[in-house]
Formats: sequence, C-alpha cells, structure tokens
Amino acid sequence: MRSAPQVSVVVPVFNEEDSVPILYEEVRAALDGAGHSFELILVDDHSTDTSLAKMLELRRRDSRVKVLHFRRNYGQTAAMSAGFERARGRVVVTLDGDLQNDPADIPRMLAKIDEGFDIVAGWRKARKDGFVLRRAPSQVANRLIAWVTDTPIHDTGCTLKAFRAQLVKNLPIYAEQHRFLPAMSRGSGARVAEIVVNHRARRFGYSKYGLERALRVLLDLFVIKLISQFAHRPLHYFGLFSLPFAALALVVLVTGVVDYEKFDLIADWPQYSVTAFLLFLLPAVHFVLLGLLAELIVIASGFHRRSVLDSLVNRR
Amino acid sequence: MSPSTSNRTPPAPRPRDITVVLPVTSPHAELDQVVASLSEQFTRMGKDWEFALVFDGVRGDAWRKAEELRARLGDRILTIAFEKPFGESVCLSAGAEISGGRVIVTSPQYVQIDPVEVRRMLEQIEAGADMVAPWRNPRVDPWLNRLQSASFNWLMRKINGGQIHDLNCYLRVFKREVLADVSVYGDMYRFLPLIAQRQGFRVVEAQVRHLKEWGKAGFFGVGVYIRRFLDVLGVVFLTRFTLKPLRFFGSVGLVLTVFGGGLLAGVIYQKFAFGEGLYNRPLFLLALMLFVLGVQVIGFGLVGEIIIYTQARNLREYRIERAWDDDAGDEERS
Repeated sequence: MRSAPQVSVVVPVFNEEDSVPILYEEVRAALDGAGHSFELILVDDHSTDTSLAKMLELRRRDSRVKVLHFRRNYGQTAAMSAGFERARGRVVVTLDGDLQNDPADIPRMLAKIDEGFDIVAGWRKARKDGFVLRRAPSQVANRLIAWVTDTPIHDTGCTLKAFRAQLVKNLPIYAEQHRFLPAMSRGSGARVAEIVVNHRARRFGYSKYGLERALRVLLDLFVIKLISQFAHRPLHYFGLFSLPFAALALVVLVTGVVDYEKFDLIADWPQYSVTAFLLFLLPAVHFVLLGLLAELIVIASGFHRRSVLDSLVNRR
Repeated sequence: MSPSTSNRTPPAPRPRDITVVLPVTSPHAELDQVVASLSEQFTRMGKDWEFALVFDGVRGDAWRKAEELRARLGDRILTIAFEKPFGESVCLSAGAEISGGRVIVTSPQYVQIDPVEVRRMLEQIEAGADMVAPWRNPRVDPWLNRLQSASFNWLMRKINGGQIHDLNCYLRVFKREVLADVSVYGDMYRFLPLIAQRQGFRVVEAQVRHLKEWGKAGFFGVGVYIRRFLDVLGVVFLTRFTLKPLRFFGSVGLVLTVFGGGLLAGVIYQKFAFGEGLYNRPLFLLALMLFVLGVQVIGFGLVGEIIIYTQARNLREYRIERAWDDDAGDEERS
C-alpha cells in the first residue's frame, strides 16, 4: 500500500458522463500543479448512463482514482458519507460532479486549512444559476441556517468544502445534512473559514435539485440545532419548546378566570377557558418529559463522554 | 429460548447450492410432498440441495414425518424445533444459520405453487436477480380472500412505490447475501421483498401457478387487520425513515400544526374583527387541540433524532455494490 495521500477529493456522481473526465483533468491539473499528493474518490450514486464506465476508464489510467459504486440511488449525502469513510487523506475536499465548482480553488482552500482552520467552506458569490428557483430560496435558507445555528457562512449549499479529516470521520452525516457540516462541527469547537470560490454555469446535463427540498431543510434545521448545540443537554432544547406553551397557559389562566373588576377569581370558571388552559399546559409538560427521556437516551449511549475526543479536533 | 435441536452438536454448515427453509407451523404439514416435489426439480437441475425444517412450536405428525425423512435422506434434512412459536422471521434466520445453501428458498409447508415454477425462479437468480418473489396469478382461493389480498398489495404498492404484486405468498428464492443486509423480525417476513428492494437488491417477480391454499377462507378476526395495519406502518417507517425520524414525525406534525394554526388564526381574527368571544367557541378548542397535537408529534420526532444520533452513529444509509479503491490497480471486490 502506498503512503496515504495528503488530500482526498470526494465527488458524488450521478449521471455526469460528460463531466467526469474533464473533472479528473481539472483536479489533477490543480493538485499536481500545486504539488499536493491526492486521491480522487468518485462515488457513483447508481448512475443510469455511462458514468461508471468513464470512471473505471480513468482508474485504468491513474490508480489514484478510486471508484465506489452504489447498489441503488441513495442521494448526494450518502455518497459523501461513503467517500468520507474511505478517504485516507489528511484533508478531505468535497466537490460537485457537475463541473460547477472549479477545482482550481482547492489549493487556496488547502492553504486555509494549513493556517489552522478545521473547515473551509466555499462561497459562490457570483452564482451562475437561475434566480427564482435556485438563488432566491438558497439565500433565504442560508440566512436562516446562519441565524439558527449561529455559524456565519454565506453559502451552506456550496459543495466545494475542505475538512480536516478527523472531523468528518467523527461526525455522523445523514439525511441531507452535508450542508450543515460546518454548523454541526461548530458544536464540537471547529474553526470555520470561508473563501470566495469560482462558480461556473452548468455545461452538461441538468440540475438534480428542486424546490421541494425547502420543507426538508426546515425540518433538518431543527435537528441540526438540537445536535450541534444541545446534544449534551437535550432537556434545555426541549425546554425551549415547552416555554411558550407554559406562557400561553398562564395567559389563558389570567385572562380566563380572573375577574379584573373585583380583583378576584371568577365565581364559576368558564369551561372553555379551563379546557384551553389544559390544552396549553399539555405540550408544556409533554416537552419537559420528552426532554427527560432524551437525557436518558444520551446518558445510556455513553455519548456524553465522547465529547472529549471531539475537542481534540482543534489541535493542530 | 432454548430450541432443542436434534443435532446436539451441529457441524459447520456444509456448502450447498440450495437450502429450502421451511417453517412448520402445523402438525399436519405435508412435508413429504414438499420435499419430494422440490427435490425432484433440484435434482433435475443438477443442484446440490438440503432442507432446513424449522418447527415453530409444533411437533405432532409433522415431526414424525421429519424423522422419517431424516432417516431416509440423511444430512440433506436439517431440523430445528422451538419449544414455543416465534414466527416465520425467526424461523428464517435460524434455518439460514444452520444451513449452507448459497441460494435460499423459503417454502410454505404444503405444495402451494407448482414446483416447476421454483425451477424457473432459480433460473432467474442465475440470470442475475438477487431475489425472486412469486406472484400467484391466477389464484385458486375464494374470491373474498383474493379481494382482501389484492387490496392489501395494492395499498402497499401505493405507499411504498414498489412493484410487488403478491406479498402474501412465501415461496421466495433469494441469494444468501440478501439476509446479511436485510434483517427481518416479528411480522416483517411478509415484507421481505420490499425491504430487500429498498436495500438496493434486484428483486424480480415471477408469475407462478397457484395449486392450492391452506389459509382460512373469508374474513379474519379484527385483530389480524389491526396487526396488519400496524405492520404496514412499521415497515414504511423503518424502510424510509430510520435515519431521519423527524422527516416522518415532522411532516405529520407540521400538517396538523399548520392546519390547527390556520384555524386558530381565523378564530382570533374573528374575535378582534367582530368581537366574537374566543373561549365559548368549540372551533377555538378544536384548532387549539390540532395545533397542540401537531407540536407534540414533532416532539416525538426530535426524540427519535436523539436516539439515532447517539445510538446509531455507524448506521449506514447506503450499500456499496462494488468498490475499486485499491492503490495497486484493478483488484476488484464487492
């Protein structure tokens, strides 16, 4: 076995037969040119065109190309997890398979990692995509994510990112959460940097994204918040849900059963206000109980002890 | 659980071409006929075969027949007996564990399907399929059963988007690898082809000739329908949302919350616009109830996420069919 390369470039590929060979040439030009040893991990997400054949052809020419072939289409995030798992480099770089990212940006990202950052995220400042369907929703999502997770990144959806390898080995990524990796790593104290990267219009194929992801991103956001900031104290998170309901219950109580003219309780409590009070009280109690359950789960998993490991990521 | 095996010290499973796993749930199981008809087909194909008879809490006549078969056919007949019934899923994993067939055939305990069809199914495995699921067409059981079965299967196709037409027939043929990635337990046995398909295995369907049916005719007890419904819910949840519980709970919860919230907004608007009292309106309580229910459902999803995050960090959501990732060159492994 050859010694481990410095950089692992992970590229999820789904029906990109035209792009793959060009991608390889560009990655090679960028990294060989800068003198970094690398491996290129192409994860074929069960393409239905000749992508796999093209990849294997590249591998025949250059054994630094690694190819993983999925049994069925599992999605981009799964493809990235698979790539992360097999990556042997000190730094892992993720890249889109559609050539919209420019591999020439990679050496700059690596320089940033060498400065001591754990994650370098790309920022497609001048995006070459349609506004209504792609850029506008993405901006809203980015603002929301930055605000909720308290991670000042402009462009979470950009696939071009560089990670210190230990970091991605420790993090679970599932569902559509690759875009949340920086936010999640912040929870364990990672230092995140951002650089402006080149973005090119799509040359081949078509976009595999749609608007229906908005709802899922919203749901994922709840999870990210929970995992990145409250994994060790879920009760606090559930308490946040509990509070507004407790407050509302109090409001109903005060407006429903107090007679302000006499400064006394109303003689006969109106049935509906009592019911409303109970209904608000229900989730308030419910969330506290769920929070306790969550604490139990965290304790039982022994996960709370692992945080020590995660903090080592920051060491140079 | 101490299944008393008739082989006291089971030797390491002997590699074979085919293992038939046959859960025995009735003392009247027609083991002779099944073994005779299937083995004839296997022999004709020139395959090395064996039967794993798993007695699921019953003995009786069937056990006696199995002893006879063992006396006659020797180590081609493997038997396990459970002291109490554990269900077909456990039978399958136990049967697979003690046997050595590269291809596993699960068979009902009577000759339900024309044995010639099994041969055709095996040929489809050789042609590259990972699992062949049977589709009894035309069926020979009463129309009421057919109607119930058809609507169940239709529902499953709608919900899961699969293309399997007959989940209620257990004569399935599949490669042993399938069991490594598809864990079945409880009543999940029925959904084996669906789960396998979900895991990315190539599942194909074969139309088979239905000979006879043992099951009860007419309607089943209410409990059966309830259990079946829960199974469907469970299988949909587990095949699609194991790694992202909030996607499931969250979607259900958001629908309720948004609906309840909308009603709530309407009622509050009416209060301020027309001065209609809030507390004396049933609609207000209904809206509130829906809203609260929705929020609580989302809460469950969050606990689900905690469970997955802390307990299942190594759960894979993908299966790699093949990897070319050696440094040396094109050494392939699957």
